[in-house]
Amino acid sequence: MIRIEDLSVAFGGTEVVKHVNLELRDGEILGVVGESGSGKSVTALTLMGLVSEAARVTRGRILFDNVVLREAGAPFDSALYRKYRGVEMSMVFQEPQTSLNPTQKAGRQVEEVLRLHTKLTKEEIRSKVLETFRAVGLQEAERVYGSYPHQLSGGMRQRVMIAMAVILHPRLIVADEPTTALDVTIQNQIVELLRRINREQKNAMLFITHDLHLARRLCHRVAVMKDGCVVEAGTVEEVFDHPSQAYTRRLVEAVPSRMKGKAGAGRKSGELSAAETGNGITEVPREVPQERAAGSKTSEIQGSLAGSGGSAPVLRVQNLSVYYQDGKDNQSPEQAEGGTGKKRSLWDRIFRKKGQCVVWNADFEIYPGESLGLVGESGCGKTSLSKAILGINRHIEGAVVHNSVRPQMVFQDPYSSLNPTKTIGWLLQEPLRAAGALDHSLAMTRADREAAARNMLRRVGMDERYWGRRPSELSGGQRQRVSIAQALITNPGFIIADEPVSALDVTIQAQIMELFLKLQEEMHLACLFISHDINVVYRMCDRIMVMKEGHIIETGKTEEVFGNPKEDYTKLLLWGS
Amino acid sequence: MKKRSGKKWNKYLYAGVVMTGIAVLLGVVGFFWTPYSTTAMSATEKFSPPSLRHIFGTDNFGRDIFSRVMQGLGTTMVISSLVVLFSSIAGILLGAVTGYFGGILDEAVMRITDALNGFPSILLTLVVISLLGSGRQNVIIAMSLVFTPSFIRIVRGEFIRLRDADYIRRARMMGVGKFRILFIHILPNIFSVFWVSVMIGFNNAILAESGMSYLGIGVQPPDASLGNMLSDAQGYLQSAPWCALAPGFTIVWLVLGFSLFSEGIRRQGA
Repeated sequence: MIRIEDLSVAFGGTEVVKHVNLELRDGEILGVVGESGSGKSVTALTLMGLVSEAARVTRGRILFDNVVLREAGAPFDSALYRKYRGVEMSMVFQEPQTSLNPTQKAGRQVEEVLRLHTKLTKEEIRSKVLETFRAVGLQEAERVYGSYPHQLSGGMRQRVMIAMAVILHPRLIVADEPTTALDVTIQNQIVELLRRINREQKNAMLFITHDLHLARRLCHRVAVMKDGCVVEAGTVEEVFDHPSQAYTRRLVEAVPSRMKGKAGAGRKSGELSAAETGNGITEVPREVPQERAAGSKTSEIQGSLAGSGGSAPVLRVQNLSVYYQDGKDNQSPEQAEGGTGKKRSLWDRIFRKKGQCVVWNADFEIYPGESLGLVGESGCGKTSLSKAILGINRHIEGAVVHNSVRPQMVFQDPYSSLNPTKTIGWLLQEPLRAAGALDHSLAMTRADREAAARNMLRRVGMDERYWGRRPSELSGGQRQRVSIAQALITNPGFIIADEPVSALDVTIQAQIMELFLKLQEEMHLACLFISHDINVVYRMCDRIMVMKEGHIIETGKTEEVFGNPKEDYTKLLLWGS
Repeated sequence: MKKRSGKKWNKYLYAGVVMTGIAVLLGVVGFFWTPYSTTAMSATEKFSPPSLRHIFGTDNFGRDIFSRVMQGLGTTMVISSLVVLFSSIAGILLGAVTGYFGGILDEAVMRITDALNGFPSILLTLVVISLLGSGRQNVIIAMSLVFTPSFIRIVRGEFIRLRDADYIRRARMMGVGKFRILFIHILPNIFSVFWVSVMIGFNNAILAESGMSYLGIGVQPPDASLGNMLSDAQGYLQSAPWCALAPGFTIVWLVLGFSLFSEGIRRQGA
């Protein structure tokens, strides 16, 4: 139905899409997978005729039912496209926040499509929109119809977008990362919805994603893109189970997966396809330190702590509730810092508004060398909890007891966690300078400091060349390495990693995770590892905690929780990935 | 700034550098040497129009206008630079502390700046001058006072924005001291924004200084300043227009050149 022949697209002088050949048949879901910058979005936008003016089609052509939509050399035919867009093909974008007009009610925006392309009466249009809303799983169709986008949740907005895309039963739906901005459980629902639509309406779908799990679950065929080229294409089984290209193999291996098992976990899963184990995935075996094993036993909340004869926990959180104070929080960050672990004073209790409680009675310990995973969807209180532990938020009740010098944190966004005006060398020395200024026994000479920083830089896998560079000259993965180095250089014994790999591409993600594991072992580091990605947590952590709406609902050894989840919510999370 | 440009200068920067350069050169030379004495009067050469002998002509006392413009340029630029220097230092200190720490001090300083902003700036300088008396130093003090609030606001806003940046949070977690965070970690990050406001502030200072000496509350005669030259020339606009045109043109040249310069730098950076 759709044929993309030898397509090349260039911005200015650089080609971002090179010689791409894709074919899409009726009723088929074609996945286009690749890392950021691989040209997958540009390909889709070119197909839809939505690519920006600056892009030129330099070679090849796009055919829709043997009609040439776009051809190199020929000018962009907007009249032709208008006939196809909406009726024959439609698109679902990644950001449900920005792809709906915030000033118009959702119903009206969907109606627009019908008003432009059909001759239905007002009533017919309305009932058709409501019917489509119900079909895409919006139960309160009437309410959604009259709501502005900001009154809807992310998942609902994406459903509205999908309703808009399918209302005219187009033959092609292009979905550009439609679930990336959504939480795991919502993500599952949307994927199911797309699959159902595909089954019922028999339309073809071009599904663009960086998430190989998703592609595998949803698509019939996949094309793997890298640097603007399609490196491999075929059925899902061919590509994922018998990748012929080295890059595809690397990509598949890089994806953290429970199916691959953990070293020492000895999990023989029945559903594991033979091909996958045959992929030659070599796990770096991790030695479980003694203490950690001892600590893991005490995963039962509170009570069994006394029973563990192991070492003292590096962090003990007791009955911690965290409040979020509305309105202006004009206190200085320094003031906030001071309040670590203190109970709210009488004054606070009587005169201060408590605010909304975002974490309820959290209760857990972390032992030396252990990594504890904290999983949950956005807004469940993960970040509030970590801030409370570090003392950034002091609207807390309960106790946080540290046994480490200064817990450090690695943030999600590698682009904002390094000071852009400093060089890497300076950044790495700063924690040492700070430690020396606080405690004169730790003060180092300039040469020692430099040597320590250079050593740390090597340990995170970066060479001397980067010493004098600034963060802007580094890639995301490299920045995250520097962040990690900065957090670990003072040997804190305990760090909090808040989604440290979520902003990275899969292959980089895998490298950073390897690095984490290596350093954790070398430095005998305890770690609270926060993530929404359950597979990453599985790979990284000894124990995990599942958090939902401010409550820790399940805690246990990673294998136990994954193998035998007790809570329905945990099952839901697991099922999604 | 210039070192950063491995790229070619854009035309704004080019024009700005040339215009500002000429003005600065004339002003600096004017401190040490002028073609004629700026105070030497000549009864025979009153109101002589621009010629090779006096390229901007002479005024009602027969003084060489070009020489006086050179001196005036120097005066104006020195006063404006000092005003910008003092008020930006004050602005950085107060803005950094109020923005980062917040609290009562912040409230107090912000209300004071609100109050200062409530008065027309020329009125405010008049009040200060009338309290302190006229003279170069007092003009600088008065104008610095008037210019400080805008710098405080800009710096404060940037510090509020950056105090919760991830890298600043991490610096706090490392245990970096407060003042080190303020001036070593945050301050370099606000320079691109601050630079723009310094440029704008400098232009405003030039205009304000000229306006004040035009009103007779700035630099006092017989010292030349662009503003008081304009006001002196007012009476002879019909008969000797060059007396007003020369200083007027110079002010425009200076402000335009500097605007182009700052715009050029802004674009070069982007």
